[in-house]
Amino acid sequence: MRKLSLYPFVWRIPLMVWQGLFFVGPLLLMVAMSFWLVQNYRMQPDFNFTNWERMLTRGYFWDAYWVTLWRASLTAVLASLIAFPASYGLAFHLSATARRWAIFCLIVPFFTSYLVRIYAWQVLLAESGPLNALFGNAGFGPFTMLNSGFGALVGYLTLVLPLVVILQTFSLSSIDRNLIEAAWNLGASPRETLLRVIVPAAKVGLIIGAVFAFILSFGDFVAPFYLGGSKPPTLSILIIDTTKSGQQWPRAAVVAIMMIVTLFVVAFAAVGAAYRKRK
Amino acid sequence: MMRKSSILFQIYLVAIFAFIFAPIITSMIFSFNSDRFPTFPLGHFTLHWYETAFARPEVWLAFRNSAVVALAAAFLSTILGFATAYTDFRYGFRFKSAYLALALLPPTIPLVIMGLAMLAWLGRMGLSGTLVGIIIAHTVMGAPFAMAICRLRLQSMDPALEAAAWNLGASQWSAMRHVVLPFCLPALISAYCLTAAVSFDEFIVSWFVSGLNKTVPVMILEILQGNVDPQINAIGTVVFMTSISLVIVAQVMIFKKSSQ
Amino acid sequence: MSNSSLALTRRKLLAGAAGLALTTPMLNRAWAAEPTQINMLAWYGHAEPDIVAEFEAANNVKFVPKYYAGGDNMLALIAQSPPGTYDLILSDAEFVQQLNAAGYIEEMDASLYPFDEFFPEYQNFPGHWTGDQLWSVMVRFGLLGVSYNSDVLSRAEAMSYNAFWNPKLTGKVGHFDWHLPNLGQMALLLGNRNPSPFDISQDAWDAVQEKTLSLKPQVGGYFDYGGTFSGLKNGEMLAMAGIGDWITGVLQKDGAPVASVIPEEGGIQFTESYSIGKGTSKHDIVNKFIQYMLSPEGQVKTIQMAAYPGLSPTKSGWKAIQAANPAEAERSGLIEGHDQSPVKLLKEGRIFFRDIPRQQNLEDWNDFWSEYKTA
Repeated sequence: MRKLSLYPFVWRIPLMVWQGLFFVGPLLLMVAMSFWLVQNYRMQPDFNFTNWERMLTRGYFWDAYWVTLWRASLTAVLASLIAFPASYGLAFHLSATARRWAIFCLIVPFFTSYLVRIYAWQVLLAESGPLNALFGNAGFGPFTMLNSGFGALVGYLTLVLPLVVILQTFSLSSIDRNLIEAAWNLGASPRETLLRVIVPAAKVGLIIGAVFAFILSFGDFVAPFYLGGSKPPTLSILIIDTTKSGQQWPRAAVVAIMMIVTLFVVAFAAVGAAYRKRK
Repeated sequence: MMRKSSILFQIYLVAIFAFIFAPIITSMIFSFNSDRFPTFPLGHFTLHWYETAFARPEVWLAFRNSAVVALAAAFLSTILGFATAYTDFRYGFRFKSAYLALALLPPTIPLVIMGLAMLAWLGRMGLSGTLVGIIIAHTVMGAPFAMAICRLRLQSMDPALEAAAWNLGASQWSAMRHVVLPFCLPALISAYCLTAAVSFDEFIVSWFVSGLNKTVPVMILEILQGNVDPQINAIGTVVFMTSISLVIVAQVMIFKKSSQ
Repeated sequence: MSNSSLALTRRKLLAGAAGLALTTPMLNRAWAAEPTQINMLAWYGHAEPDIVAEFEAANNVKFVPKYYAGGDNMLALIAQSPPGTYDLILSDAEFVQQLNAAGYIEEMDASLYPFDEFFPEYQNFPGHWTGDQLWSVMVRFGLLGVSYNSDVLSRAEAMSYNAFWNPKLTGKVGHFDWHLPNLGQMALLLGNRNPSPFDISQDAWDAVQEKTLSLKPQVGGYFDYGGTFSGLKNGEMLAMAGIGDWITGVLQKDGAPVASVIPEEGGIQFTESYSIGKGTSKHDIVNKFIQYMLSPEGQVKTIQMAAYPGLSPTKSGWKAIQAANPAEAERSGLIEGHDQSPVKLLKEGRIFFRDIPRQQNLEDWNDFWSEYKTA
């Protein structure tokens, strides 16, 4: 009475079908596109390495690459550090009900268009804006916050912070309380409990949060453009710029593939680290 | 001592929420401000921007489109995300890393390129310029978020729990229904809301794929890039108020029950 | 604000909410014959009520706009959409040639449009015609020069592109983020007027690059429309390269101390024109709309378009705006013999049509622009 179990496949197949139909297709199309040529402002299918050669030998491409990498790393680290005490507080110092409220309040900002929020930051950060007025009253400033790396960072954090807090909180609140109490009972200091028990137990969530922060800020166009003033341009801005030379989508695709490869390597390395068994 | 640190954490939380909500509140203030361009000092109070925005049938249509897309895409993303997370949690198999790559890749793709590639691809399938096209694209993009949330929840489930149910004679299906799903319910709800939010906020891929069917963020993008008009603040505020009301309703209705 | 108007608003909002609940098609008046839908691909503003509402009401049509924010996005969108998706396409003149070369637009019947009303300078606009074949009809244009904050810079100081190097503006010079208008202005500054700042030798191009790079320490950022508006308005930027009255005109209406001039070295003209999308089945009504927009009535609307103002290429348009809004005619120089009249400036050889580079590749210009931004 052998039962061919349908069960595992019901869970496995949907993703393969869906992403196979609607994701792998566009992805391969994009890879193919990077070998196409543009003639008379129209893309012509071809197999040609010109675009790759052209983009990867440009100094400005690599400048933008390192800037983007640096900013995304900084955002991932800062967002994780800033989020952690909040997530910790949410997980351990609030009731389950209060925590649910807080999580929903973290999701709600997504509904208020990111563009609208960035537009509001433009006002808040302006030299003539309220923050500088506040600093002025306290005898500082005015500071130039817009059209700078700082402005872009504020934008990135606006984008990723709620998500990082959500993911961290999920991870922290699932830690077995007995584990923590055991550590206390064994005389561990709060610091030791945190570093030896809580952080390792929540490692997966912490890393996944940081990875999402990295990925989202690496690819974001809005913050570096509207708050960073494109000074200097990031890869996502470079993609837009590249298309402005007469339909050069193939070259933009080269930039995109470089971004995907980078993100993929980072994401996989991080996820690998997250799931690695502790020795 | 616990008390004191609790207060500290609460202060910190308030600060974080202040950062997250500062732009939202700012945009709310300017939605009632008479000046076309947002600067201080404020002009006078007006409802003009709300009247202008919501007198236009296109705006209502965009809201409807956005709602349909977000609800449908969130539904599909959550199913896909949960199924994938569960597969990752339960099973090891050959090519599993390729399988996981399929699940994780979408957010790594720059949206502008994703938009063009999706448009070209869906165009070939006859789906460009339709709401179905946007739903498909947003599901692809949302599933990884749903998967991350579900996977984190499953991480904290004792695998022995499911096995215990089988030992007690439950089939895999009924163990899923009576053990795994209830355990994952909070994650499923959060994943649904988050993916709906991600879809509701996405404008670059939508711009390419949507053709003449605009969603709210596409409309905001057009106004921001072409006109800069406080209507976007009015629209944003309405969206915020609506979503926060829904949250309150959901809290009261869903969780009242579960906490009884 | 009186109570009654508040109450009215609330009622409107409630009615709207109810409409949403019943799904929006209910909002369309069911008693009228279903209006013909015209799909328009355009810059923001061209299908907004201030432009099209009267035409819609008179002809029982409904415009459904798709707004783009750059000619390249527009081309990509058309390329990947089924033919016939867009009935009417509004684009910048330099993109008409690309639309035509790619076969996205239909030939137009020149006899349908009032070309004898056009100033002769605009009758045979380059790129709109191939021999006798007409592909696009100009509806409005605008001039790009030096835009500046008039609290900081005087008009006399702004009368040369050298103003961008003024120490008062360090860190406060913004660029409209597109290589063509900016580099065209730099070419003008270096005296490349004959035949055009876009038709320059390799040596001249090298000099343009060098000159542009020397501006870098002054630059505060690179902006799109929205960013340009906000930057000038909140004083983050005190001068802008690559734009003109189409931005500052809007800000002036809002009371901002900004202005634009065409400097001594000359200015650049952007040109917006209508083309008919290949595969449309609505030729009659689309042509009627183009005629309407070229009529004095339509020109008055387009000159004062709420999103951004434009200039009229027709004599009857000038007369109409002088009658309808003398202040606006005076402000934008739409009076024959006016000191800032665009026709006069064009005749004096101080205006050059924005174009793609003639002696270099478009990609070379774009590459340099990317280099400049990262420099």
